[in-house]
Amino acid sequence: MNTKSKLTTLLSFLLVLGLLAACAPAPAPTQAPAEKPAATQPPAEKPAATQPPTEAPAEVKDVVTWFQYDAENMDEKANEAVGNAYLRATMPLFNKAFAGKLNWVNQPKAFDKMEAELINLAQGGGDVPDIYELFNSVNNFERNGTLQDLSEWAKAQPWYKDLDSSALQACTGTDGKLYCIPLAQRPQVVFVWTGRFPNGYPTTIDDFLAQAEALKKEGHYAITFFGSTDKGGSGAYRGLNTMITSFGGRYDDGKGNMLLNTPENLAAIRFIREIVAKGYAPDTVFAGGFEEEASYMDSSAGSFPTGLHSWKFQNNMTAPDGKKYDTGTFEDPLNAFKDGELVLAHFPAAPGKTPGCGTLPEALAIPVGAKNTQGAYDFINWIMSPEQYPAFVTNVGGGLPTLKTALTDPTFADDVIIQQAAKVVSESACRPWFGSLARPSEAQPLIMNALYKAIKEVGDDQIEGVLTQAQEEYNAGN
Amino acid sequence: MALKLARLGKQKKIPDSLPFWLLLPTVLILFIVQIYPTVYTAWLSLQERKPTGWIYVGTKNFERLFRSSLFNESVGHTIVFLVSFIALTMLLGFLTALLLNQKIRFVGFYLSLIFIPWVISTIISGQAFRLLVTPDYGVFAGILQDPALFPPNGISVLTDARPSPWFGSFPFPPSKGMILLVIASTWRSLPFTALLILASLQMIPTEIIESSRIDGANGWQIIRFILVPIILPTLVVTIFNLILTGMNGVAIIISLTGGGPGTSTQIISYLLYSLGWGQIQFSQAAALGLIIAVVNWILILATLRLTKVEEAR
Repeated sequence: MNTKSKLTTLLSFLLVLGLLAACAPAPAPTQAPAEKPAATQPPAEKPAATQPPTEAPAEVKDVVTWFQYDAENMDEKANEAVGNAYLRATMPLFNKAFAGKLNWVNQPKAFDKMEAELINLAQGGGDVPDIYELFNSVNNFERNGTLQDLSEWAKAQPWYKDLDSSALQACTGTDGKLYCIPLAQRPQVVFVWTGRFPNGYPTTIDDFLAQAEALKKEGHYAITFFGSTDKGGSGAYRGLNTMITSFGGRYDDGKGNMLLNTPENLAAIRFIREIVAKGYAPDTVFAGGFEEEASYMDSSAGSFPTGLHSWKFQNNMTAPDGKKYDTGTFEDPLNAFKDGELVLAHFPAAPGKTPGCGTLPEALAIPVGAKNTQGAYDFINWIMSPEQYPAFVTNVGGGLPTLKTALTDPTFADDVIIQQAAKVVSESACRPWFGSLARPSEAQPLIMNALYKAIKEVGDDQIEGVLTQAQEEYNAGN
Repeated sequence: MALKLARLGKQKKIPDSLPFWLLLPTVLILFIVQIYPTVYTAWLSLQERKPTGWIYVGTKNFERLFRSSLFNESVGHTIVFLVSFIALTMLLGFLTALLLNQKIRFVGFYLSLIFIPWVISTIISGQAFRLLVTPDYGVFAGILQDPALFPPNGISVLTDARPSPWFGSFPFPPSKGMILLVIASTWRSLPFTALLILASLQMIPTEIIESSRIDGANGWQIIRFILVPIILPTLVVTIFNLILTGMNGVAIIISLTGGGPGTSTQIISYLLYSLGWGQIQFSQAAALGLIIAVVNWILILATLRLTKVEEAR
């Protein structure tokens, strides 16, 4: 190879490299180094190079949010239609209120992936949003150092003192720091078709079993619930948790250890086994993929313990009297409630126990590394304002307001679902399902797999062994 | 600069072959997209995340993984799934290819038809199979759940409890959910497998087959001693493809069974997905990812070795 050939080769190589470099994505003009978490930290400035010389002095900054909703999804029959429509209507209002200062940019995310995605991005120093919609435990985020501590900032805000203390607790990490601002509570309640329970929903276990037997003779199920191990074991905090806690059961010992093998949990599991064995619940309960909802929608099952916010995802329903609610939108359950076909109830409690109720927050958090922390503060304050708060709680939260004075707001005072839910919660003992467990995402599938085995797969004499094995496996990681 | 380069070339400090320079960009890209992620995964598998950052924990993630009951169970499910899936797909693929290799009319049409499962997305395939067997509401629910047809209580593929294992805790016989998973996975992989084998069969000169017939070989002997040895390299490539599809595929499990009933279809790749995306244990997921990579290599090397032995015979 002579010198000329080598030069040609080198030039060709450089050309290829140049082409590759040209194909690489250019750095985002707004990209800035990740910030350290600090409540009082000023927002990161955009690189000067990105500012055109003619730009007005007041720079409009983006407030990037991650919601499970998509403003651009116009499908009225989409599962998330309520939240989608809310964003569509509200984003222009925000942009108008902060004209020339802030611009709301939403990045829709899959509800079951966004937590892992945020933690992964935050660890890798990637582009995190300024606002993150949080609807589960803060413990995973705390363990991974993903969210900013909002304690000091929140205490200085006018709405702080009006926040419900249990809601604040749900946003508080094991280190005592406040990692999110709770806007709504999503309690687990029981949706009941009144036509299946004409004498009212049972308040005792014995009454429930008696009414379930009567319904079975009529060819109906008394209950349907999410009993599958699907969806990452989320069944552990849905209807099963409602039943278990109504027997006084729980998943932890209050000191960070998992504790499943307790007399209360055993009693609850034996009760659920009886429901299943006697055919009081449909087979779809264990099929996963939310198949269990179908028998509630067509009212072949008389009751459905699940999250209050699930009304937003219910549609195409048939009441026991044959009346159709089939607009295919969230108006269906609303109309069924208005007609008295549907009511909310608490689950019947075991003798001497209070009805159980799991609860999770619908909250806003600011990730570590957010580029516009000040914008995020402004965003939260705007959402917490009396003009915006009710709409957010209803359409995004789908739950109860966390501001104590808000229940008297006409939006909530006239809302039949909210009023019924408030009554159910007041009559129940509601708490987050994970209690003192510091690794809820790890605990969730372990608990659900054990519950499934205990309910469906093993003999009565093996239930305790299954529960003990699961708790020991979790506690080994403490 | 040019002179310096030329001098370096003469001193053999940089290779002076054109192929080297042409291949270099590809090698660099491969390094970026393959070597770096592998090294990062190995690093991650030795770390644990704390609020303050990553800390080195040695082999703790591997130890926790091996102690986990679900890991051991998943290994059993993976073996059952992989063996059934590969055996069934290869058998049906070979038979389909043999059929399509006959001189029949409309072969092109049949080929187009048979290719449909391959072009349908995995998630949709899983959902379609799920819709067939969903209890109470599925297309075949009325038949499957009829106690008269399937005494005593009918069949509920997605919810029936798994049978008692025959060999200790090894998950055999499989649950009905696992059988459905194998069928759905086979259905999806069959077209590509059949097509690979068919292409290979069509390369065989017909004279060989005809002369073997004249020599008195029957159908089975032609397949065993003529066709299979000739197309063995293709069969090996097909098995590689199926091993990787079976070991690493998770989408069809998510959409078809969600890992259930219970944990009976949670194969090792589903556990990896669950650890990473569900439980947010990236370090343990990295440890499992490395284990899966090693197992993939072992399976592929074992297949190569077996086929070399077969070729030698």
